[in-house]
Amino acid sequence: MSTKVDTTPIARQKRNRFLLQAACIAVSLFMLIPIYLISLAALSSRASLNEFPLSLLPTNLSVETLTGFLGATGIFGALGNSLIVGAGTLILAALIGVPAGYALARFSFRGKDPYQLFLLFTRALPIVVLSVPLARLFLTVDIYDTTYAVILLHTALALPTTILISASVFLSVPIDVEEAARLFGCSPLGAFGRVVLPMALPGLAAASIFTFVMSWNEVLGASILTLDHRTLPAQVLSSLSDSPLAYRFAGGFALVIPSIIFIALMRRYLTNMWGSTIR
Amino acid sequence: MTDTTFQPRHSAVSRRSLLLAGLGTAMSAPFLASCAGFDTSGAAAGQGTVGFLSTQFTPVEEKQRYEAVLKKFAKVPMAYNSVDPGVFSSTVSTQAAAGNVKTSLLGGLHGELAPLADYLEDVDALLRDLAGRGFTKEMLDLTKVGGSTSRYVPWMQATYVVAVNKKALEWLPAGVDVNDLTYEGFLAWAKAAKQGAGRPVFGMPAGPKGLHHRFYQGFLLPSFTGGQITTFRNQDAIAAWDYMQELWSAMAPASTNYDYMQEPLARGEVLVAWDHVARLVNAPAAKPDDWLMVPAPRGPKGRGYMLIIAGMALPKNGKDRDLAEKAIRALTEPASQIETLRSNAFFPVVQTELPSDLTGAIALEAAAVRRQQRSAGALLALPPVGLGAKEGEVSQIFKNCFQQICLETRPIQQVLDTQATQLNTILKGLNVPCWAPDPISMKCEVA
Repeated sequence: MSTKVDTTPIARQKRNRFLLQAACIAVSLFMLIPIYLISLAALSSRASLNEFPLSLLPTNLSVETLTGFLGATGIFGALGNSLIVGAGTLILAALIGVPAGYALARFSFRGKDPYQLFLLFTRALPIVVLSVPLARLFLTVDIYDTTYAVILLHTALALPTTILISASVFLSVPIDVEEAARLFGCSPLGAFGRVVLPMALPGLAAASIFTFVMSWNEVLGASILTLDHRTLPAQVLSSLSDSPLAYRFAGGFALVIPSIIFIALMRRYLTNMWGSTIR
Repeated sequence: MTDTTFQPRHSAVSRRSLLLAGLGTAMSAPFLASCAGFDTSGAAAGQGTVGFLSTQFTPVEEKQRYEAVLKKFAKVPMAYNSVDPGVFSSTVSTQAAAGNVKTSLLGGLHGELAPLADYLEDVDALLRDLAGRGFTKEMLDLTKVGGSTSRYVPWMQATYVVAVNKKALEWLPAGVDVNDLTYEGFLAWAKAAKQGAGRPVFGMPAGPKGLHHRFYQGFLLPSFTGGQITTFRNQDAIAAWDYMQELWSAMAPASTNYDYMQEPLARGEVLVAWDHVARLVNAPAAKPDDWLMVPAPRGPKGRGYMLIIAGMALPKNGKDRDLAEKAIRALTEPASQIETLRSNAFFPVVQTELPSDLTGAIALEAAAVRRQQRSAGALLALPPVGLGAKEGEVSQIFKNCFQQICLETRPIQQVLDTQATQLNTILKGLNVPCWAPDPISMKCEVA
């Protein structure tokens, strides 16, 4: 009797589940293997990096190059500067970009489409072209070589994406709920603050990941605008590209870790950008 | 009733705003505390720290070692800030243009300082004071960067030699002296080694950041033609490039990826390579006994070799001028010059005997450099003088020749003619006299 039960659907389900798991593992490996390799190389001794073939298992652990790298003048100061600049850019870009995005999403006005296109023009100019005149300007007003100067540049660079992403986030908040809030006596500002913003917040947080990572990665502008108060990439990148391989791995490792931590913190919100169902 | 309906919402809002406020303070705390940012170059020591902006010693360890040299010998507190040449020149020129110079001392190669000459203070008086140091006349001529007054004080010098892993000696053809190579012997050796090892084991720094153009400018062409620019496309130059084509076919093709030869040498991918002394110094680091450093080969017209000069300059209207001058005086003293050699393989520019207790790779290099300079028929070549911003374009012409002749195997005469026309266009625009080894009195152009 029991032998006659048709097990094909269960088998198929099992197979599908297996395939799904296999796909997940493959995607994870695709992301994790480079991180594994760079960590391995960063934590290997210098001599072992010159061996051939390279061992893929941690057989020759050493923190020599990593401590050498971290012991260089100004690494921790630069890390602090990078965090200041990242956070400052995030705040300033949100203060300016979110209202602009809201306006784009809710109001129709003359020249809206050209305006959206025009926004992207700041990104069309190479950073070198932007930063040399900016350096001159900042020298004249005496904020050259400060984190403020870099924050201003990074904000200008981040604004287009902040505005466009926040506009699409606000579009996904139904206008009905805002109107309902107005009906129940909220002022326009109150409706925005009490109803729209909380609903849009996860999406805005996701937009901030772009801003932060952009600011974290930007090198050229930051190195032209500063001298003794550099951000981390500006401080180490040119130095690393001239250094022996072992140091490049150590530096790469040190540069990757903080942004992985930031993304891990924001991960919860990132999935929200594509709809809460994924979670 | 009103209380019960409003309280939950109220408390929810306040919790959220509390969180937001907390987040806000957490984020702005470091922000307000440090205002303009944390110091990253050591300039925070306060007023009276000499800001030394330089293009040299960018690699992590070299920078750390040079900071130690400065600490010990500079006599004034210094903040050493090394940047790449592009950032260096835009930083210097924007600061000068804005009339707000934030650096007090600049350091760079001759070719990097020359285009910035307008922003650099005249240092003739300082050089007169330092006359006792024994800078050579060629060097002092170079510091004038095409003008009439000196714009920088020589800081250190370097040249290029050939590093040899002793394994490669097994294939050295009979009758070839490794310490007195000829270009023919070098080629025969490369071919024999390729055959013996079953793979090419000679290499050259032909990567994107490699210095192979200096090989053609300062070694190959002077040795074959006796000149660099005037003889750019004569019969001797054709022979030189013909030679280069043949040499390339016996070299590791991966050379087009090599920027610093010490890495493929240390890995054992390459056993014999020509490069800048500072870019070879780490190859023998682990086992100096396995290595030789020998002078570059000699050709029909002599042993061409190039000298690289780095200088220290004072930006016009720079900060802490007195301290910067004091630093220059201290850094041109023999003791600090020798310490720079020990730590970073750049040679003294002042008259001094090298100590006999140099270690490992440095000792090998010092001997090779001395032999190269003092050998019979040594022919000094300089990197282009007075080309300013066009220097990169001239280097590119030599790289183009390599690209088209060796990699694309185009007809040599045709390539040289096309490149000579371009070279002449650049040189005509500049109207500068030739530099060694070309006759100096002439107006420089390809014959």
